[in-house]
Amino acid sequence: MPVVTLLDASQAPLAAQAYYADGDPGPIVAALAHVPELLEAALPFINAALGPSAIPLRTKEIVILRTSARLACRYCIDTHTVVARDAKLSGAEVAALRGEGDVAAAFPDPADRALIDWVDAVALGPGPPSPAVADALHAHATEAEIVELTLVAGATLMLNRLATPLGLPTSAETLRRLQQEGWQR
Amino acid sequence: MSVTEQLEAAVEQGRISARFWLYTNYHCNLACAYCLTESAPKVDPRLLQPDKALGLVREAAALGFREAGITGGEPFLVSELPELLADIARVMPVTVLSNATLFTPKLVERMRQLAALPVTVQVSLDRPDPIANDAMRGPENFRKVLEAIPRLLDAGIRVRLATTIAFDEIVPDKTPDQERLCALHRGLGIGDADHVIRPIVRRGRALTGDLGVVATRDDLEPELTVTADGAFWSPFAPTVVNGRLDTDLLVTRTVSPLAKPAATMLRLVEGRPPGHDATLGIR
Repeated sequence: MPVVTLLDASQAPLAAQAYYADGDPGPIVAALAHVPELLEAALPFINAALGPSAIPLRTKEIVILRTSARLACRYCIDTHTVVARDAKLSGAEVAALRGEGDVAAAFPDPADRALIDWVDAVALGPGPPSPAVADALHAHATEAEIVELTLVAGATLMLNRLATPLGLPTSAETLRRLQQEGWQR
Repeated sequence: MSVTEQLEAAVEQGRISARFWLYTNYHCNLACAYCLTESAPKVDPRLLQPDKALGLVREAAALGFREAGITGGEPFLVSELPELLADIARVMPVTVLSNATLFTPKLVERMRQLAALPVTVQVSLDRPDPIANDAMRGPENFRKVLEAIPRLLDAGIRVRLATTIAFDEIVPDKTPDQERLCALHRGLGIGDADHVIRPIVRRGRALTGDLGVVATRDDLEPELTVTADGAFWSPFAPTVVNGRLDTDLLVTRTVSPLAKPAATMLRLVEGRPPGHDATLGIR
């Protein structure tokens, strides 16, 4: 059960109603709608940070799913397990990102492993990533990419810390996909 | 363009009201059958503290709002209300909505300071006889209102009368009941210009009681309204059903700086056709 009421279209505040135009906008919007001025600021940011950009979708999903797994965010893990699979991450890769498989075996590319080490450091802290982890990422990513990937992790942390305490529910469609593909919850 | 400039233009074009509303509280000594906010003696007061209310009025004036409205709940359950009204009236003209059942001689004495200020007390009275009136508003309401109005007028305070009835009772030619009510208010010294008749709106207790007319956003004049819960589209917006605040006409949770909800309101009224009392005469 969510900790707060997820506002349906009939109770959507005026400035939030556009987000309901195509039907159920999902629990993040339905929760943020309680504070429409935050919804209006947060959604464009979330879309910019997590949506299509110069970083390939597959790379972004590595960051999002790994961060969510490190934060044990049930809603985000469920949702991004499905999204990651749609982004062409293999079953073994997704399992490894979820902490259910060997990262080194699933990700032979050192660029991917450097990114995962970076994400682990960002997600878990405390303090900055070690120089070795930073150097490894620098070997495979530009400064712009490092900034963006770190912000993707930060935006994911924000959503993890929104979704978990508020008990946001996984959608029925996502649950169906997870069951169909044999993912444990 | 600044929010102030945008507001001025929108007011001139009739797209938004120059009146700014405050809900001082949600509790009430009555529990009217059609109350929008399910107000009653034991509900959570959800007070807007007087110093905060006055600060918001000053912000409203700086933005270009020209008059204030105070409602609730019963605003006169807020002990500091006469002094707050005086402070507000020194900033802009103010109308306070009241059930007029609390105007004891002692309270009216404290109200005398308002006589020289632009303060209007808008009193609710729905029917010209006590049985029909009190059925909707509570025992002894009719008698108390008829005692209070002369006291307020004697104290030099302007009084308006608001009558809330079923939508289909509002007809161009007044019904015999309305003629009797008008004769009553004229006899009390309240002219026709100070008598407003509006329909019960199907929100709050009227919704659960299967009363009133459905009002959408476009049926309600955009009048920025601040409560302890946030800023809303209209004083008819921050309604309560089964103890739960309606959010369908919420503008922002942020109320100060007031420019924030005002800017959102201005964005929401963009493209809205000019005009007041849009379709249902709700005011």
